[in-house]
Amino acid sequence: MIKAVVDAGFGYTMWMGRALCFLGEVAGHVFRGRIRWPQVFQQTYEQGVQSISIIILTAFASGAVLALQGYVAMARFGAKEYISHLVGLSLVRELGPVFTALIFSGKAGARITAELGTMNVNDQVLATRTMGVDPVEYLIVPRMVACFFALPILVLVAELVGIAGGYFVGVLEAGIPGPFYISQTIKAIQYVDFFAGFIKVFFFAIIIGWTCCYQGYSTSGGSMGVGKFTTRAVAFSYIFVILSNTMLTKIILTLWG
Amino acid sequence: MIRVEHLYKSFQGQKVLEDINLEVKKGELLVVLGESGTGKSVLLKHLAGLLKPDRGSVRIDGKDITGMPERELLRVRKDIGYLFQEGALYDFMNVFENIAFPLREHTALDGKAIRGKVQDILKLIGLQGIEEKYPAELSGGMKKRVALARAVILGSKILFCDEPTSGLDPLRSRDISELIRGVAGKLHCTTVVTSHDISNSFRIADRIALLQDGRVVAIGTPSEIRASRNVFVQEFIA
Repeated sequence: MIKAVVDAGFGYTMWMGRALCFLGEVAGHVFRGRIRWPQVFQQTYEQGVQSISIIILTAFASGAVLALQGYVAMARFGAKEYISHLVGLSLVRELGPVFTALIFSGKAGARITAELGTMNVNDQVLATRTMGVDPVEYLIVPRMVACFFALPILVLVAELVGIAGGYFVGVLEAGIPGPFYISQTIKAIQYVDFFAGFIKVFFFAIIIGWTCCYQGYSTSGGSMGVGKFTTRAVAFSYIFVILSNTMLTKIILTLWG
Repeated sequence: MIRVEHLYKSFQGQKVLEDINLEVKKGELLVVLGESGTGKSVLLKHLAGLLKPDRGSVRIDGKDITGMPERELLRVRKDIGYLFQEGALYDFMNVFENIAFPLREHTALDGKAIRGKVQDILKLIGLQGIEEKYPAELSGGMKKRVALARAVILGSKILFCDEPTSGLDPLRSRDISELIRGVAGKLHCTTVVTSHDISNSFRIADRIALLQDGRVVAIGTPSEIRASRNVFVQEFIA
């Protein structure tokens, strides 16, 4: 029993060490300027296009549901005019970044791991090395840097669409005048609110890119391995996004309020 | 050209290569024969610096590559072509892009020159007109030919081929074996081929090394191997 626990602990420590070395290697390429921009733009486009429709749908529904629930609760206190504050602040400070990051993990993240994993089990990663090309520079860095661009853009879209979802409910269901709803939203969201949420997105992008690229790059075991590592990548991304969000929220609230 | 001395490799305590000693002369074609699981592919990966041995050395042109950092190895590999068992073509690139990839990475040739070189090599391997096809649209034999073209497009001095005939019918096996022999001869490549295909190995090899349980049990010209009195050698080639 003790031996099993020690072995498991040792295994996880080794795994974490390897994952950190991998991140260090990627960071080394980025800081030395070894970034292949054409591939970065292509990956950003692919990751963005792949996730945009589901993100728009989820964001619109989230904004609408927030407004519906807010309407029920706030109408009791005669404060239904403030639905826009609830929707805007919830989306910008918390829900927009976190929901988008989770969906991005499931769509773009899974794709990254499956792609790299398939390349790995078919010797394409090894073939890259035999052709004198560094696979980290050619395959990993563009995907990770692309996450850094694609996710913030998607979050901005999600926040705007979510606010639009809240607007429709506020205007059509709660009977709030449209211009008033918009002016209240603009009034409610301060710069600090926007950046308190938006700054987290860059951490999420690193976490998702790192987790999914590392899992794909270490995939073994044929097609079953690809499935296993892809599922693991998505699960780990979810866990790391949620945990880091808790920590980042505490830090941001302590610093900015 | 290539010298392997006292090479040992184990994976999780299981010995895969044991005291391998080999020399491949410039321009020579050596076939490493052996049953499945005897360490042929592992040996080839050591020759290309893709694996680090537990002990021993691999020298290419006198330089020991076993202790080289990966960045330096990447430079060494520009002179090496490596043909994988399944081809390992990028499935997101078409044939043209696959073959052009090493040229784009390592030369300053313009688009027109690259196109010309790709067409020349496709002519050499007898596969003109398939530039726009993707690997998924190719047969096993075609994939290997395209992979061979990609492996030698830079005019490699060394060519490694890992089980090039596996999964092919006898006719395609003979074609790909002769193609390797032809390409290696034309480019004056020093070539190492791993295989368990006896007839084709004897047809194309200058010398043959026979592996058994991670050890070289016989090495020599095809006629010397045929004349060997080693029981395993006789059983294997019978």
